[in-house]
Amino acid sequence: MGMDSEKNSLCRLQCSYASLDEVFEIGKETYRGQQYSQIYFARLHLMRTLLYSLVSQWKPQTPVCTVLGLEQGKECVIVGTLYKHMKLKPCILDEYSKERSAVPLVRPHNFMHDDDYLVLEDESGRVKLGGDLISPSVFVTGIVVALHGKETGAGDFSVLEVLEAGLPPQIEFPLKSREDKYIVLVSGLNVGSSDSNPLQLQLFIDHITGHLGDEKEQSIASQIVHVVIAGNSIGIPRGLVNGQNLASKDLSRIAEPIKELDILLNQIAAGLPLDIMPGPNDPANFSLPQQPLHRCLFPGSAAYNTFRSCTNPHSFEIDNIRFLGTSGQNVDDLEKYSDAKDKLEFMERTLRWRHIAPTAPNTLGCYPYTDSDPFFIESCPHVYFVGNQNKYESRVIKAGSEGQFVRLISVPKFSESGVAVVVNLRDLECHALSFGTQFSS
Amino acid sequence: MASVSGNMKGFYRQKKSNTKSSKKASAKSGAAQPTALVSHGDDYSACEAMLRQFDMNMAYGPCAGMTRTARWERAQKLGLNPPQEIEKLLKSGKVQNESLWDGRI
Repeated sequence: MGMDSEKNSLCRLQCSYASLDEVFEIGKETYRGQQYSQIYFARLHLMRTLLYSLVSQWKPQTPVCTVLGLEQGKECVIVGTLYKHMKLKPCILDEYSKERSAVPLVRPHNFMHDDDYLVLEDESGRVKLGGDLISPSVFVTGIVVALHGKETGAGDFSVLEVLEAGLPPQIEFPLKSREDKYIVLVSGLNVGSSDSNPLQLQLFIDHITGHLGDEKEQSIASQIVHVVIAGNSIGIPRGLVNGQNLASKDLSRIAEPIKELDILLNQIAAGLPLDIMPGPNDPANFSLPQQPLHRCLFPGSAAYNTFRSCTNPHSFEIDNIRFLGTSGQNVDDLEKYSDAKDKLEFMERTLRWRHIAPTAPNTLGCYPYTDSDPFFIESCPHVYFVGNQNKYESRVIKAGSEGQFVRLISVPKFSESGVAVVVNLRDLECHALSFGTQFSS
Repeated sequence: MASVSGNMKGFYRQKKSNTKSSKKASAKSGAAQPTALVSHGDDYSACEAMLRQFDMNMAYGPCAGMTRTARWERAQKLGLNPPQEIEKLLKSGKVQNESLWDGRI
């Protein structure tokens, strides 16, 4: 850069950054043998308090009662946690079942069935939900809702209307016109796996660090202020981690992908701030919230103050714009137990339910919190992203009592698609950045 | 098990052959009480009885797997206004901090 003394050397733009991941860090929690009933109680209490305040405006005339206090034929509002009974959901007790024929031999990817039904539970009891209004295909276990309806003669609760918690309040989007600043979201690098293309990844890194192209392209790259890697950065060959003792040559094979990743991240961190989140295939803990990948895995990159290892889910603020994202586990789990037209619809539902991962701890691994539920969304993000999806999709939704708007982004797996997502901080417009390595034969 | 010979009435005993009553039998309603319903012989005071009521109160959530102090603090944190007497009892240190199910389930 010292050669061009006549021209102004390009400087990368800066942004302010604040991490909000403290709620997802488990360091302060201790495990004393508690079970998951505690987190369900914390979730129910937290959301019921919220829903009670909304119910008084939603149905001011209708009495609110507990499940056990239901009287037949009397219209009332009940608040509780939904439980979806699913016929095809794998159950540990199937092993002991005498009727082998009831268990399908081939495990379906989606466990929905026409006979699934919903049940509402609170501390006092549970009641089966009936009526056409509430569709089991949309809801999953773990959501807290308020229902208006009445108990039928058969003992079911016939639902007339459903009230979800809705989008949480949002901080104001900074509106003053500014320059274009971009944040790049990428996921599923799968370094070290046979599917990943090292050249494609190197092209990506060279582009965002400004080592590619002419001055025009470099000036575009200089507007990129931040990079977030949303999980599955490492692809350790599955055959090596099956619980057997490894020969010494295999031990070094396990470390190769991580070393390679460190070299790549070093190149990025030398140029601009980088956040790396753990994903389902990364060497981090299994249950949500996944803790940050350890610094010792990145001896080269961790020396930079631009390198940040973050939790999954990851919540942060850049230039007073709030971001919230996960590496995909929450939406992938919803896909197994419910139906929607696309991944963005699942994401929208999690915002409306005000909970990032309602299926935790039922079907998604989760830490057994006792007095709080960190997946409850306190403040509505401006950008909500989910990593490791099959394709790039994006949409803006405008919903909620205050007209909150959120840019929803489904970030595809880079190793399969070669696509990263770029978001403009000025107006939250986003586009795909794709890299290909086709050689003309 | 006794071999079934002839008389079925003899096989199914109509009353307990063991006439020794347990220490607490005088406090309970009859000698033929099934042992499952009799208290396990632990002598619990009025303080412990009050703490057990606190354990069983559903408003403060499940009690299994948490110490009583932690559960009281959680109730306080969630704004449920747990009674102050319970906190005083727990702080005095003369009572058991584990819930009544500890070690039993």
